[in-house]
Amino acid sequence: MTTTARKLMPFVLLFAGPLLLRAQDMKLPPEVERLSAKAKETVEVNMEGPMLKWASQFLSKEDPDEQKAARLVANLKAIYVRSFEFTEEGAYSSAEVEPLRAQFRSPEWSRVVGVRSERDGENVDVFFHLEDEKMAGIIIISAEPRELTFVNIVGPIEIDQLADLGGEFGIPKLKTKPLSSKPLAKADKGDHK
Amino acid sequence: MTPTNQDPNLLEEALRNALRREEAPDGFMDNVLARRAKQESPAQARRSQWFSLFSQPFVRWAAFAAVSICLVFGGVHYRNLQRERARGEAAKQQLMLALRIAGNKLQLAKEKVHGINQPQPPKTTPARSRS
Repeated sequence: MTTTARKLMPFVLLFAGPLLLRAQDMKLPPEVERLSAKAKETVEVNMEGPMLKWASQFLSKEDPDEQKAARLVANLKAIYVRSFEFTEEGAYSSAEVEPLRAQFRSPEWSRVVGVRSERDGENVDVFFHLEDEKMAGIIIISAEPRELTFVNIVGPIEIDQLADLGGEFGIPKLKTKPLSSKPLAKADKGDHK
Repeated sequence: MTPTNQDPNLLEEALRNALRREEAPDGFMDNVLARRAKQESPAQARRSQWFSLFSQPFVRWAAFAAVSICLVFGGVHYRNLQRERARGEAAKQQLMLALRIAGNKLQLAKEKVHGINQPQPPKTTPARSRS
């Protein structure tokens, strides 16, 4: 490396660093990407900036859930969801999920929840990304015996309101169309993380 | 002084003659109506001028083409609006699905944490019977 390049390196890292971190928000390892072939049902949602804003314009002002959703996504930058459902247990190993968890063991991410349940095999990790002590993103990795789900929400979000949308007392509010074996939602194939 | 001024009877006679009822000549009413029909109001005149434009084939065809183009463009615009709305509704469904999955998994995490924090009921071991 030349002397000039060596001198410029700190500046390059200074300006390119945040971009690199942004790009690493959620990168699914190839092993996990390959799981969609094994999955009975796959859900893939990639929604970024303008697409998110546009979709939120169609949220009803009468439906209470959609009102909540509109408030939630008002300041969001992106939402990425991958969910795989398998016919039988053991379709994936914890070793396949571990590289994904490892991505978020960095100073800019705080692991706020890490549940390992030997009894029912439900493992959940929740990571928060804080900027100036404000919520700037959330990652949820839920590994269940027959289901594997990754959620990446970029931007400030109210955690309680989001949990509220998920249902109550363990009863999910998933009243949308039945999942298909093909990716149900490929809204924005952009540079998804 | 005229003779009628001198004699009031003559004056009365003259007035009676002048004001006596006379039948209208034959065809008077038809003539009046025909003349009335010929005299159009200004608005009617303008309207008839406007309609007379369409008597020319070129203007007729141009008007037909203009209306057809408007209909086609209107139809295309309406269809695009409908498509846009359908795409928006689909995007909204995806957004709601993503938020519900995220919320559901957060709930799961909360339940797990709550379950761990709940004090476990004391294990009841059956008392050994002394035999």
